[in-house]
This record gives sequence, structure tokens and C-alpha cells, in this order.
Amino acid sequence: MASIVHDRDNTIETPGRRAPLVTGGHDLHGVTEVVCRVAESRSAPGAWYLTMGVSAALLAALGAMIGYLFFEGVGVWGLNNPVGWGFDITNFVFWVGIGHAGTLISAILYLFRQKWRTGINRFAEAMTIFAVMCAGLFPGIHIGRVWLAFYLFPLPNQMAMWPNFRSPLLWDVFAVGTYFTVSLLFWYMGLIPDLATLRDRAKTKLSAFLYGLFSMGWTGSARHWHRYERAYLILAALSTPLVLSVHSVVSFDFATSVLPGWHTTIFPPYFVAGAIFSGFAMVVMLAIPCRALFGLKDLITLRHLDNMNKVILATGLMVGYAYTTEFFVAWYSGSAWELFAFKARAMGPWWWSYWIMFSCNVFVPQIFWFRWARTSIPVMLVVSVLVNVGMWFERFVIIVTSLSTDFLPSAWDTYWPTWVEAWTMAGSFGLFFFMFGLFCKFLPMVAISEVKAVLPHDAHAGGAGGHGH
Amino acid sequence: MASHGHTIDIFSETRRFERTCPSALIAAVIGVAALAAGFVMKPGGADLRQFMNSYLLAYLFVLSISLGCLFFVLIQHVVAAGWSVVVRRLAEQIAGAMPLMALLVIPIVVFRTELYPWLNPTDEMKHLVEHKRPYLNDTFFIIRVAAYFAVWTLLSRGFLSASLRQDANGDAAISTRLRTLAAPSLILYGVTVSFAAVDFMKALSPMWFSTIFGVYWFAGCALSGFGFLALVAMWVQGSGKLTRAITKEHYHDLGKLMFAFVVFWTYIAFSQYMLIWYANIPEETRWYLVRQSGDWWQVSLALLLGHFCIPFVLFISRHPKRSKATLFIFAVWVLLMHWLDLFYLTRPPEAPEGLLAGTGGGIPLHLLDALCIVGVGGLFWAWVASALARHSLVPERDPWLKESLAFENY
Amino acid sequence: MSASTVTQKSTAGPATAPHTLVAEFASADALVRACEQVRNAGYTRWDAHSPYPVHGIDRAIGIRATRLPVLIFLCGATGTTIGVLLQWWTNAVNAGVQFPWVPTFLQGYNFIISGKPYWSFPANIPVIFELTILLSAFGAFFGMLALNGLPQHYNPLLRLDRFRRVTDDRFFISIGLDDPKYGSATRRLLEGAGAAAVEIADDVKESAPPRWFLRAHVMLACFLLIPLAVIAYMRVDKQSQPRIHIVQDMDNQERYTAGKQMANDVFADGRSARPKIAGTLAREDFTQDPHYYQGRVGDQWATGIPMYHPELQRLAGGAAEVNEQLMRRGRDRYAIFCSHCHGLDGAGAGRVATYVVQREIGFVPPKSYADPDVLVRPVGHLFNTITNGIRTMAPHGDQIPVADRWAIVAYVKALQRAQAATIEDVPTEQRSRMTQPK
Repeated sequence: MASIVHDRDNTIETPGRRAPLVTGGHDLHGVTEVVCRVAESRSAPGAWYLTMGVSAALLAALGAMIGYLFFEGVGVWGLNNPVGWGFDITNFVFWVGIGHAGTLISAILYLFRQKWRTGINRFAEAMTIFAVMCAGLFPGIHIGRVWLAFYLFPLPNQMAMWPNFRSPLLWDVFAVGTYFTVSLLFWYMGLIPDLATLRDRAKTKLSAFLYGLFSMGWTGSARHWHRYERAYLILAALSTPLVLSVHSVVSFDFATSVLPGWHTTIFPPYFVAGAIFSGFAMVVMLAIPCRALFGLKDLITLRHLDNMNKVILATGLMVGYAYTTEFFVAWYSGSAWELFAFKARAMGPWWWSYWIMFSCNVFVPQIFWFRWARTSIPVMLVVSVLVNVGMWFERFVIIVTSLSTDFLPSAWDTYWPTWVEAWTMAGSFGLFFFMFGLFCKFLPMVAISEVKAVLPHDAHAGGAGGHGH
Repeated sequence: MASHGHTIDIFSETRRFERTCPSALIAAVIGVAALAAGFVMKPGGADLRQFMNSYLLAYLFVLSISLGCLFFVLIQHVVAAGWSVVVRRLAEQIAGAMPLMALLVIPIVVFRTELYPWLNPTDEMKHLVEHKRPYLNDTFFIIRVAAYFAVWTLLSRGFLSASLRQDANGDAAISTRLRTLAAPSLILYGVTVSFAAVDFMKALSPMWFSTIFGVYWFAGCALSGFGFLALVAMWVQGSGKLTRAITKEHYHDLGKLMFAFVVFWTYIAFSQYMLIWYANIPEETRWYLVRQSGDWWQVSLALLLGHFCIPFVLFISRHPKRSKATLFIFAVWVLLMHWLDLFYLTRPPEAPEGLLAGTGGGIPLHLLDALCIVGVGGLFWAWVASALARHSLVPERDPWLKESLAFENY
Repeated sequence: MSASTVTQKSTAGPATAPHTLVAEFASADALVRACEQVRNAGYTRWDAHSPYPVHGIDRAIGIRATRLPVLIFLCGATGTTIGVLLQWWTNAVNAGVQFPWVPTFLQGYNFIISGKPYWSFPANIPVIFELTILLSAFGAFFGMLALNGLPQHYNPLLRLDRFRRVTDDRFFISIGLDDPKYGSATRRLLEGAGAAAVEIADDVKESAPPRWFLRAHVMLACFLLIPLAVIAYMRVDKQSQPRIHIVQDMDNQERYTAGKQMANDVFADGRSARPKIAGTLAREDFTQDPHYYQGRVGDQWATGIPMYHPELQRLAGGAAEVNEQLMRRGRDRYAIFCSHCHGLDGAGAGRVATYVVQREIGFVPPKSYADPDVLVRPVGHLFNTITNGIRTMAPHGDQIPVADRWAIVAYVKALQRAQAATIEDVPTEQRSRMTQPK
């Protein structure tokens, strides 16, 4: 396969002419080759083995920590009264938030006809699914009596009493559960044509069987494509309000209370913006090594990264808007407790976490006003890591500062995580990267058929036939 | 960008009015007459306060439309949208009425004591208003209002005149420059609209507060702006201009945007309502309590049904968005609902006491509400129609125009 | 490969029969043009295949708009309905008990929480919304599969090597040999329309999935039924053994017990059982009065209320006999601690009792105080029942002070008396009020 890598910078768009989304002059077959050779190759880059090794170790640590928690109880965590939520719910909100970018890319950008999404949507959706898995772990284990986790679900107890549907915690179960299910369906549906590609190229019986089983007998029929596209559009239209609802419901966990710093009406859209913000940072963070390691630079181009960095800038500004509005209204409300809560965030015992949050989320992304920063791989790698740090601290600040100093000064207490919590958190990253690594190696990381549909028109003819099987 | 649609030549289209649109003059006369009649005669035994209430409502309604179109222009530039170019000039001209809006805000500033209780606080609110004095004070209020209109005028006129310049010289670099400028402009836009929402509406109940309020008004602005834009596009086509350039594909997209903002408004309104209802803190809940007591309950319900349920069910399908007749109904409907929303935000009394006792019944609709909307709306239309008549109705040398003309939904 | 080639695939192995004519095209545009010709020629059992959805192919083939959106809308409406009904039935009403055929666990239970009304619509919206989306998404995904006839794990087309490039870079038209229009002209039509190659795909006669594949599915299905079977079994099974106690919490912890004379290093004398500290009194020192504390006189139940006790006299306002003040105290405590099960009149039909009996939750309902068995019980027995409980009734000794328990006993006796009361028992001046209709 002769792919001539064009050095043309596709981040500059001359008005009136859309910059190409695929570089390297690939035709249809070229796109197939670039994506499929990752899954078909019998080996993987060394960095992949390293990542899998480290994340498997962390995953084992996660298992050990949960086992330890199981036998000893939540006393092994640093939670206390009044800080009943600490790292557990911080991580839950963090991971749910990470997932949002995947749905935004696959659904909202689809509705907005942003064709650049085709290069990144597949692995962003995979990221969503794994992030939601990590998120779902924490509510399950934070209840202490892990074996009673089924109480979370709408099932009657022995007194025929059903859970309280007026509780935001139950809404969470419905929201996150629906989100996971719909994301999985959406992702899998997108995979079907690409699995068929792998099936048709399979060299071994096993891969032909497995890819054949999961591609469901797809033959690219026009009648099938017709219903498929309609279903895809509607799934996108359903996922859009869904993704807004998920982090809104997560924000309701806090905002329906009367706790100063938690009860504020901007929480739902502010949480959603923050979720997209952190999720895009994670996509950038994953895209950079993936495109380098697996030779996807022609499909995940600088333009994709540039666009994502613009989204990071925009959502970072929205988050900054929410921080400032909260502060302004805390003062404007005239409520002494509200104002105290915000002063305590910025100047209290956790001032440093507040300022990590503020600088990582509001100041750092401002560098993306400059084009050189948006197109510089090292800069965006650093920014995306910092944004994730900042967004983790945002949840930490919200949860811990508000809980530790509520209305009753005599009940105030501080919180510090134990090593168990720290390793559980690290373990959740292990779970995430382990799943993601498996996905990268064995499934098509880029949506082949969708990229083909946005190739320039002259590339749409099949190749001259020089590449038989 | 593989487009299979047929492209028309924009220069074969009627893109201009031959002379000043007569409806502009008529609208101006009627507008002035209605406002003068309302102010001087004060029908139905109204006082200045009633006039100002009605005026504020009408003014905010028109201002929302103008701001919504300004948002449309900015967002289309920032994402370098192709599809919208054929209707962008119309939005630019609607947003370009900002100098008129700056003129029309003067009565609100002059008679502010009639409107805003924080200038004359009751005993109950004295303590809180004193706390808010650094923000809610006379001087700062006037400075802020001046700043809003300075920003909005600068943005709307700046983007309009740059676009008109491109008509003349066809310089593609203007598009690049506007795209770069649109991003910081959106920040200015967001900040000013949020604070304007506080100053014009939230300050009507100076004891109440809600962090989402700015976003709430923004949702209404965008919705009414898109609705009005669709109506203006129909009017332009109805007068025999741009008959082939604007197609049902563009209406479909405007319809989708309206639908999206119907849902977005609902999302924001629900977030605000649900959180305040659930936490049930007296200083927040009273604002809603007023709006759910007495006959105001019917307005709340009408808003729920009319601003969400009915348009959601009727316009979720693609077909009504692709037909001009049904989209016309949709656009008129969202404008009506936005007016009702502003009525619901601005008009209810501050205190729920009378309503709870069942003695404060009746929705205070007034003849002046109609006169003011005719007045402010007439002047606004006069401005927009005459501005549209002066220039080409389409950014005819915009580099993205070709994409817009060939645009097709999939 | 630009010259069109016609090949007949040689077959080996199972018996095959020609099934579908497949024509290959090099580009999407060629495919669309060819589709228009095939459509115009009046074929009906045919299809086009491409690696990605080709713009304009629907029109070229004449595919009618799918009904999928309607299906999805119906699914969504079902989700909305389930969301509303689920929350209303399980949280907002208590209607299930009226229908004996509704299983207990489906009966629902209305309860107030955080001061919100039973039916709190704003708080119900999130769940309604999520269920609407969930079912709509199921409709979209499974509806798409069903309308497309997927999964279809066997397709004659996939037997053609050439056809495998349909998921890579080639475009195909397939025409079934059973198409009424099919004939020798078909191949010419396709070649004339620019086909790069035309082939016939063969079908295996009597094709069936491999045996092991079916067996694996059956086994999987059985395996998935196990949890359901276990749950169903556990619901009906009565066990005498306590359940397995995996996590001990602090239920069974190491401790020093008095009876075992254990050593304890903490104390200098090494004894774990500590002697009484000089100058203190043990609890039992106060309970040397079995009549007052246990309702017993000798080895018999006490038959009188121990009004000699200063604490009871205090409740009675200093009087040494049962008086109205003590009765009022008893009525008051009774209302708080007893009436929810026994009912305000002592007939045994309190709210909780009625509720659990209706639901058949395995609860022995309280007897009426007018029951002959209860009538003959001495007061000491009643006192003991309050203190230590009986059958399903829990001990209340920890909750109600001793004197109050006696006051309740006195009131219960009054209730018993009232159950057997006649008009003669009412003071004369108030009898007229009893007989007059309200």
C-alpha cells in the first residue's frame, strides 16, 4: 500500500474550501488498510504491552482494594461524619463526566453535521463505555455493604416497599444505567459495518467466526443502510438529551439538598459543560498516543486535535462562567452561609484544591486562543492532563468543602483519604486503560465506513484493483 | 465536501428591494402613535407604573429577538457554518437594530423607580437590598445598561458592516477575521446577556436569586431570535426575493434550531424549577409560589404546555419543519410563548400574600400591553425593514455562500 | 480488471444451486447510475451493496422511507407510560392491597419522604425521561435489526470471494435469480451499465447452522436461567437454618463473658468480671420489688396495680389509687406506643396491623382486648406482655418507663371495660347525647 504522507497542514481552512479530514491521499481501500492492520497485526507496539502491563497491575490493585473494603467495611476509607462522601463520589462524578465527550462527539456533533467527528467518534464512544463502567463501580462500593448493592435498583424489599423514586440517588441509577445501555448500543451499532470489514478480511477461522458473529451478516445492502442511517440519526437525537440529563441528574445529587455550595440552580448545565470539558481533554490525551502508536495520523489529523482543543477552550470558558456566577450569586443572595461556603472554598483549609481547580480549568485552557498551542502536540498533552486534574479537583472541592463545613459549626470536620482510597482511584484508571487497550488492539479504532463517507469525492472510486486478496 | 445538490447562481436571484419598503414607514408611524397614545392617554385608568410594566415587557420581547439574532450571527461565524449564509444577512440586519434598542431603553432608565423595587425598598427587603447596594445602586445600574448597549451595538454593527464590506470587495479574508473575532465576541455576549437578565428581570424581585437565570433568558433570546428569523425569511421570499436561494433545507435547519431551543429552554426552566422546588428554601421558593398561586397557576401551566409539550409533540417529526406553512405556525407559536414567558418572569407581584389568601386573583393583562408591543414592535420592524431594503438580502460574495446554496439535509 | 469478466464459480463440497447474480462496480457513481437502470428495467428482488451509505442511492433504487421512526416513537411512548405508572403505583398510591390477586411485592406502598407529596411530579420526571429514552433506543436499535432481518449469519453472497470487497472499496448490485424479470438480458443489462464483473453466487442446499453452535446456545440459555430459578426457589422455600453470615460486622465479636471467669490483663487482679465499686448500686438493687417491676407476686401474676409505689403515685398526682389523671396518662402513652397496632379502641385493627394483614406478610395480628382469653388475664400478665412482648409483638420495656407501663395497663383494663359497656355505664346527664343522632 503506497500512502504518500502529505505534509499539508489541514488545520488552516481557507474560507470557501473545507480542509480535508483525511490526509495522506488515501482512497477507500487505504482507509480500510490503515484501520484494519492494527487489529490484524499479530503483534502490537511495545508501548501497548507496557500500558497493558501497568494497567493490569493497577486493575489487580483495584480488585484487592475492593476485596479489602468488602471484608473490613468502609472504615478503611477516610470518610467520617459529616464528610460522608469523599474520593468515592468524586471519582464517580469524574468518570461519568469523562464519558460525556464520547456521546457529544458521536451524537451532538453528528446532529451539527461536524464531519470531523468521524475520525475520533469510535474510540471516544469506547472511552465513554469504559469510563461509565469505572463510574458505576463507585456507587456500588461506596455503600459499604457491597452485597446489598441491589438495593440501588428498583426492586421491592421484604416489606413490599419499593425504593423512593423521589430521591436523586435513584434517578442516578436510571440515568447512568440508561446512559451505559444506550452508549453501548450506539457504539455497537456503529461497529457492525466495520466488524463486517474485519470479517471479510479475516485470515484465521477464529477471527472469521467472531467478527462474523458480531457483524450479524452485514452486507452493506442499500436497504439496510437506509434503515441503519435513520436509526443512527434517531439514536443521536436520543443521546443528545440523554447526555445532558445524565450529568444533570448527577448534579441533582448535590443541588437538591440545602447544603451551601451544593444548592444552586446552575448546577445542571454547569456540570454538563464540565463533563464535556474533561471528556474532551481525555479524548485528546488518548488520541495523541493512539494515532502515533497505531499509525492513524492520516485519519486523526491535526485538524481533529485542533477542533477538540477549541471545544476544550469553549467548555472551559463555560465552566469559568459557572464558577464566577456562583461566586457572584453567593454574594448577591445575601445568604451568609452561601457566601461563607464559597469563601471557605477559596480561602479555607482546601484553598489549594480550589486554586488547582480554578487554574487548571479556567486559566490553563486559555492558551488555546493561540493556534500554535492548539496544534502543538506537547502543549495539548500537558493541557489535557491538567484539565483532567482540574476537573477531578472540581468534584473534590464541591464534595468535600461543602460537606465539611455545613450549617452547624460544632459538627465540622476535616477529611483526608486513606491509602485504600488512593489505590482504589488508581485502580479505576487501571480498569479504564486496560479496557481501552484491549479495544485499541482488537476492534477498529476508527469508524471505517464513516470515514469513507467523508472522503473527498475523487477518492470515492474504488482503487485501480492493484490490491487483491 | 461532496455535494450532489444543484447550485443556483446567486446573481440570477432578486436580492434587493427596488426601493424603501413601504411597510417600514407605516410600521414607524403606527409604532410612534401607539406608544404616544399609551403614554399620554393611559387607557383603562392606568398609571405610569402600569405603562412602564407593559413597556418593559414589550421592550424585552423585541430585545430578545434582536439578541437572539446576534447570537445566531456570532455562532455561525465561530464555527464557519456553510448552510446558514443565505439567511445570515437577515439575522445581521435584525441584530443590527441594536442602536434603536439602545434608544428605546431610555424610558426604562428614566422611569426605573416605577419598575425596580430596590430603588424604593419596602421594609421587608431593606436589609437585603442594603447588602446588595454595591451592585444594585443607581449609578452602577446606569453604567451597566450603557455598557450592555455599547457592547451589543459594537458587535451587531461591527459584524454587519464587515459583512457589507465583503459584499463590495469580495475579500475572503473578512470571513477569516470575523471567525477569529466571533469567539471573544461570544464571551462578551454571554457576560452581558447574563448580567442584563439580572438587571432587567431578576432585579424586579430583589430578594430572589438563581444562578441559572442568565442562561434562562439566553435560551428565550435564541429561541425567539430563530423564530423571528424564519418569519423574516418567509416574508422576504413572499415579496419575491431570494425565492430560489432559501430552500426548505434552510427552513428545516431553522426549524431544528427552534426545536432544539424549545427543548433547551425546557431543560433550563426545569433545572431551575426542580432544584428550587425540591430544596424548598423559603427565600427561593416564594418566587415560584407567587407564580403558582391564584390565577398565575394558569400562566405556569400554559407555559409548561405551550412552551414545551405542544411544540415538542407537534414538531418533533421532520415533516412539519420542512413545510413552510407549518414552520410558520411553529415560529409564530414560539414567539407567542416567549412573550408569555417574559410576562411570567416580569409581571407577577413580588409578594405572594394576596395570592395565597385568594384575593389577588386575575391575570393583570392590560390594554397597554398590546399598545406597547405594537409600539416597540412597530419601531423595530420599521428599522429592520428599512435596513433590509437598503442592502443586498444575502452576503452575496461570502466564500461559503456556494455551500449554503447547495445545502441539503441528509 | 476494467474489462468485464463473467465467471462461474466452481463448487466443491456440499451441493449448491445458483442463487443470486452479483455485479461489481468500481465507484459509487457507477453504482448509482446502474441502479437507476435496473430500477427502470422493472426488477423487484434486487439490492445494491456498498462499503458506506451512498448519497442518492435511495432515490436510484426507489427505497421507500422506513417506518422505523414510528416504531421508535411508540417505544418511547411505552417508556413514558411505564415511567409514570411505575412511580405512581409503587410510591404514590396504596391501591394494590385492594386486589388480592396482585402479588405482595407488586402491591406498592405510598410513603412520605422529605416532606414531599406522595405524587411529586417534578421529582418523577427524571425517571420518566430516562425510561422514555431507554425504550426509544431499544426501538431504534432492535427495530433497525428486525426490519433489516439481522442477524443473518448465513448469506449466499458471502460465499463469493469477490463480494468480500463490499466492505472495503467495491460496489455491488445483487439480483435474485427468482426475480420475475430475471433472464439472459439481466447480465447484459448490468454489463451495459458498466459492471466490472458479473458472477453468480451459489446457495448451499439445506444449509443449517452447525450442531455445536445450537448446543452452545441451548446451554447458555439454561445457564442464564439458573439465577432466576434460585431466586424463585428462595422465595418459596422455608428454612430453619439461619442464613449464611458472610460478613460479621460486629455481630459476633470476641468479648469477655461473665460466666466464663476469663482473665483480663488490663486489671491488676487479672479478673475480667469486676467487683462492685464501693458506694455504687447495681440495677438489680432497684428491682427488688417484683410486683412493681415484673408484675409478679410470688409465683403468680399480680392482680392489682402497685399504687403503693411512689412513682405511680406521682403519675396519679399524689393519689394512692387509680384515678382519672393516671388514666389520662395511660391513654396518652397508649396512643403513642400501642394504637398503631392495637387500634385506638383496642380491637386490634390499628393501621399497621391492618396493613400487614392485608398484605399477608406473615404477621400474627393482635388480639382484641375484648377477646375472652385476654379478658381473664391478670394485670401483671398484661404488664409483662408490654415489657417483654408476646408472639409478633416486640418488647417495649426499653421504650416505656415502668410507671407508664402500669398506666397503660390501667387504660387497657378501661378499654376492656368499655368494650362490654352498656348505656347504664354512661353518666345519666350524658346519656341523652349518646342516643341523639349527630
